[in-house]
Amino acid sequence: MEPQAQPPSPKTLMIASISAFAAALLVLLAFVLPAEFGRDPLGTGGLLGLDALARGANPFEEQVEVHREDYVEFELGPFQSVEYKYLMDQDAPLVFSWLADGEVYFDMHAETVGLEEEEVQSYEQGNATQRMGSLHAPFTGIHGWFWENRTARTTLVRLYTAGFYHTSTVFRDGGDFERVIEPIATPDR
Amino acid sequence: MQRDCSATSRLLVGIFLLLAASPLLAHTIEGSDASFVQNIDGAAIGPFIYLGAKHMVTGYDHLLFLVGVIFFLYRPGHIVQYVTLFAIGHSITLLIGVLADLQVNAYFIDAIIGLSVAYKAFENMGGFKRLGFEPDTQMAVFVFGLFHGLGLATKLQEFNLSDNGLVANILSFNVGVEIGQVLALSLVYVGLSIWRTNKSYLRHAFAANTVLLGSGFMLAGFQLSALLLLP
Repeated sequence: MEPQAQPPSPKTLMIASISAFAAALLVLLAFVLPAEFGRDPLGTGGLLGLDALARGANPFEEQVEVHREDYVEFELGPFQSVEYKYLMDQDAPLVFSWLADGEVYFDMHAETVGLEEEEVQSYEQGNATQRMGSLHAPFTGIHGWFWENRTARTTLVRLYTAGFYHTSTVFRDGGDFERVIEPIATPDR
Repeated sequence: MQRDCSATSRLLVGIFLLLAASPLLAHTIEGSDASFVQNIDGAAIGPFIYLGAKHMVTGYDHLLFLVGVIFFLYRPGHIVQYVTLFAIGHSITLLIGVLADLQVNAYFIDAIIGLSVAYKAFENMGGFKRLGFEPDTQMAVFVFGLFHGLGLATKLQEFNLSDNGLVANILSFNVGVEIGQVLALSLVYVGLSIWRTNKSYLRHAFAANTVLLGSGFMLAGFQLSALLLLP
């Protein structure tokens, strides 16, 4: 038989068990509840500033500019491709829907512009007739879509966006040009 | 060792069966791991083995339970026996849980896992012996294995796992869990063995298990709070 401690006296056992339970309860009530669940039964959360931890991220994010909206409609001939991208700051949000009257290949992606360290990220690729979604720019750069018509039939694509972007860049037929998009209203100053 | 199914074990089996019918809440497996699991379509043996092992090695509730289980197990043979019982238990519920789409409240399961730590600690303190009631320790480890597996199954199911390659992926996850368990167990065993060479081991065993008991209560309290307070 392996060495085993003598069973404790009933008193020792009771004291140990009750203190274990009491210590657990105390830590739970005094620290865990305020910090994790925003409940503060003993007032210790407010005292130690733990209640701030439970508030979590505020879903509201302030933006300093008026947002922009965009709608473009374009045709893709057989095996033609095009790119529409928006210049966005890091953490800027964008919502979009694009709908085509036939299946197109798409690659939703982003890249840095100018002198910033080069970064390219593809969010989603595939073949579809429509995609709807939202984006929270992971870095400053141009964010948007590459579409390619891989069929022999001309396809019409409609793109709707709204968000906190600055300008739009279009890549088509080997060249690129910038489109100016005005904010939806003039800010009151 | 008693061979009959003790009252505790029977009660636990009862709770387990009741739980199998209750609805699901969510947590754990985070960040990029979560999005990876969600996007997967088809067998991904390597990643699932890794996730299983990671879940075990970083799951302090599982680790504390293992500390409790092998605290008084000196012979490697005994450790293998207990850990095998535990592994069989959690493999059964992990596989059945995911395949049969059993959805159980994760906080509830985690609260029971916390209580399993407290139970094992109390047993190590000689508490049940003192109360004149000796539960079948092997049966208890097996039943707690069932709960731990149900917890794993619940966590895996929080993602809409693709049916494509599902069995291969669960088996891989389970293999990962065993690998993680062996890794974690080796560390715990080495630590305890070093401590055992010191005469203070038995003297401090009671205090150490009292701390373990408190930790178990704390884990259970944390999960029950989440169960009751989170929306």
